[in-house]
Amino acid sequence: MHPSSFEYFAPKSMEEAIGLLTKFGEDAKIMAGGQSLIPLLKLRMASFPYVIDISRIEGLDYIEEKGKFLEIGALTTMIEIEDSELIKERYRILREAAVQIADPLVRNRGTIGGNISHGDPSNDMPAVIIALDGKLEITGKQGKKVIDADSFITDSFTTVLQEGEIMSKIMIPVFDGSSGGCYIKQKKNAGDFSVAAIAVHLSIDKEDRVRRAGIGLTSVGPRPLRAEKGERFLEGKRINDSVAREAANIIVSESDPTSDFYGSADYKKKVLNRIAVEAINTSYERAMVR
Amino acid sequence: MTTLNWKEGDLAYDSSLFVRGKGHFVDDLKIPGTLYMSVLRSPYARARILSIKGGINGSELKAKMASVGEGADPSQTVSIQPVFATGYVNYVGEPVAAVFGDDRYKATDLLENVEVDYEPMKPVVTIDDALRLPPIHEGMKSNILVQSSRGSDFKDPDSPIVLEDTLENERVATNPIEPRGIVASYSDGMLNVWVSTQSVHSIKDGLVESLGLRPDAVRVMQTDTGGAFGSKGGLYPEYVIASYASMKYGRPVKWIETRREHLSSTNPGRGVRGKVKIFAERDGRIMGLKGDVLVDAGAYGTGIASFSAGFIAMMMTGPYSIENGYVIGRSVLTNKVPQGPYRGAGRPEASFFIERMVDLLADELKMDPADVRLANMSDKPFTSPLGMKIEPAKPFFESAVRELEYRREAKLTNGVGLSFFVLVPAVYPGESARIIVKDGMVKVWLGGNSHGQGHENFARKLVNEELGVPESIVTLFRGDTGMTLDGVGSWGSRSAIVGGAAIVAACRKIKRKVEKESGNYSPELLLSGSYDEFVYEEQKIPLNSFGANLATVEIGKLGNVKIKKCAAYYDVGRALNRDMVIGQIQGGMAQGIGQTLHEGLYYNDDGQLITSSISDAGVPLAEDLPNFTVKIAEHRSSLPHGAKGLGESPTIGVPTALIRAIEVASGKRLRKTPVTPEELIQ
Repeated sequence: MHPSSFEYFAPKSMEEAIGLLTKFGEDAKIMAGGQSLIPLLKLRMASFPYVIDISRIEGLDYIEEKGKFLEIGALTTMIEIEDSELIKERYRILREAAVQIADPLVRNRGTIGGNISHGDPSNDMPAVIIALDGKLEITGKQGKKVIDADSFITDSFTTVLQEGEIMSKIMIPVFDGSSGGCYIKQKKNAGDFSVAAIAVHLSIDKEDRVRRAGIGLTSVGPRPLRAEKGERFLEGKRINDSVAREAANIIVSESDPTSDFYGSADYKKKVLNRIAVEAINTSYERAMVR
Repeated sequence: MTTLNWKEGDLAYDSSLFVRGKGHFVDDLKIPGTLYMSVLRSPYARARILSIKGGINGSELKAKMASVGEGADPSQTVSIQPVFATGYVNYVGEPVAAVFGDDRYKATDLLENVEVDYEPMKPVVTIDDALRLPPIHEGMKSNILVQSSRGSDFKDPDSPIVLEDTLENERVATNPIEPRGIVASYSDGMLNVWVSTQSVHSIKDGLVESLGLRPDAVRVMQTDTGGAFGSKGGLYPEYVIASYASMKYGRPVKWIETRREHLSSTNPGRGVRGKVKIFAERDGRIMGLKGDVLVDAGAYGTGIASFSAGFIAMMMTGPYSIENGYVIGRSVLTNKVPQGPYRGAGRPEASFFIERMVDLLADELKMDPADVRLANMSDKPFTSPLGMKIEPAKPFFESAVRELEYRREAKLTNGVGLSFFVLVPAVYPGESARIIVKDGMVKVWLGGNSHGQGHENFARKLVNEELGVPESIVTLFRGDTGMTLDGVGSWGSRSAIVGGAAIVAACRKIKRKVEKESGNYSPELLLSGSYDEFVYEEQKIPLNSFGANLATVEIGKLGNVKIKKCAAYYDVGRALNRDMVIGQIQGGMAQGIGQTLHEGLYYNDDGQLITSSISDAGVPLAEDLPNFTVKIAEHRSSLPHGAKGLGESPTIGVPTALIRAIEVASGKRLRKTPVTPEELIQ
């Protein structure tokens, strides 16, 4: 790769990283796994005078249940999510999304923090975290704050992060026994970004009614979307195929895909409709297995 | 003198090195003092150049490209590509200027110092645009680069079935794993060039013509070549520029293509449309075929397009005994990178047109597609009205149906496709070989150069068979115009045929010499002496051969195709190395699948390349590929070593079988590659 010249920093601590980010402001770019940034740099589609490689910061690479939350450090790689026994047993949807990202080479290096912070509407993790009603911890000069995952990405490749801030932790409410979810992704070719993808997570009550529905959408809008109307529609209902179909129509009405090389907007809506039905039915079946 | 980091042994061609990461590719060549070249390319499909400041550009180097290599057409004069765009740019990616730095980073940085003012113009992007809009080049009456016809026009037969359809193959990038690259080093009046290529002789001829050099002042040497698939057989502007710059600066100049440059600026293949009409009886016999073939030539006539229109037209009746045929072939100019050969180079297009029509006829008649094919075959040799000679097709097809277990698959599966084709290898005009026997070793050079096929295997085997020496003392060297006076190149399924024949001829010449000297021949007598023979073995008789493919598929509800079976049955002549034959078929099958399902180069209305990354241009990945079934028939050719062509067979036979399987499984008539999930979603 032959990018424009840049100065490279590999801070060992959050404090040091935040210091560098504050010092260089907009001239600095954070790199974690580098799987999105390096292609941009090497094609010279972007250039930054300062690259701050945070991958050597200790203590940001973990997957653990802590009180009410499953906590995942921002530097946890996709392959670690894929291989985690805890996630395999209790948070299947996360693994389902992780294994569908690009190819093993990318997943070996790519981090969940980078996948979310890049703000790419085609990246898979934001929709999953939205469906799981997740929260994100942001570390800055003034310390830490926690925000809802929904509000993190504001537009294509744009997040709420301010100068000197790093998204440091992903927090997902611990699943109880009566919930289930899944992630379905339609790709043209193996390894591609999605044409459309959907994350659905359902919690059900003792009478098998949906208590809480979480629905996140990938690649069908300028940013990862929450299908709020679809969620409201499902809540309080028992799921059968006709309910799922009606919900899918609502979800499609909340999407806003554009026609491009990957397909026409109509095609993407058609795909979203099919995968929404399947994701709702599958999630419900999984939630029913108590 | 130029100092290389390679010793003589490093110049041997040994494909086992590649899998061990020990190849000697052009970017591995390090020469002290090398300048790195970066090329500034047109961001517009069509624009007037108002001014250029900086770098070496067309105001300094006014050379024109030379049409050399596979399908070259030296008769083109008006549409010859200039080495640097002058006055106008005619495709996105066309070289406008070149800059040079002490390393590749600096060379890339220097691109920013070149200032070009453009006045954008409306581009001609599609074949339809080309037919409708004024010509892109001054001095032409229309955008039609060439028009030719095959066969003679005939009165429509009084047939009960008349079918017409328009069929198309999208453009595809060749995408070898190693992109293009060159090192040019001029010293002491000699231009030495190392290049990743299929043909050192084409590159030499091209440089000599383009730069007006003396042939004896240019030497072109092949580096290990990591695939080519047609794209590395001819001259490119970058080669002329690097050579010129080395002469100007007196330093070695290296240029290595990026993948992005490859997608925008290396001649891609296909990009062909055919309108075909067939006249048939109710029993399936096709009484006549009329066709109109349109080739998207791209912006200049220096590619293969002016050859391919007539070549495709010639093959349009396929392996079938169709008595009446008339096909018009036209190549049209568009504001896109010039078309080049891509594995098959016209053969897959012609086969796509006839095979799609035969399947359509089967559907129309509600007949089994295999039976429709049988109804159009003969037990006798056949010369088509379009000028193609074929051997008796019926016996081979009948065995193919058996070997591929077509009847069983057709009963079991809803989604089976069968294809049948004749491979026309590019044997003309022959090939050269040089053999040197010295110090108990045998060294071999070929005029056409292996770019991954493993020519050293047949070279060793044929030398062993002809001269009785062990294979272990036989070494094939990479192509080098300093070692062979003349030669052609590796393309068109020709190397085992013509390269093999040249080796056999050279061996026999040496053997006769030994016999003349000693009264008899033995390997010991040979190895105790010194011999050096060059032969250029002419080959003018086409050695066409048959092949058939079968594919079965399932289609998911979102339109994704899952290939269940992909099988081949080809007549390869005598298989000189069975493993290499099978490997070559498997690789070609992957490419056939790629063209059918994944690969395409797409441009928007402004002529901008949309598919500018390898993932968008769509090479097939392991996950997309089935287990391949490969069966071969070995009907020896008339040559002494019995070889027939092979390399392009899978890219001819797989797309037609696979698209038929998808058509049956989806119930949708399919007319174009690639087939996308968007077309197939329920």
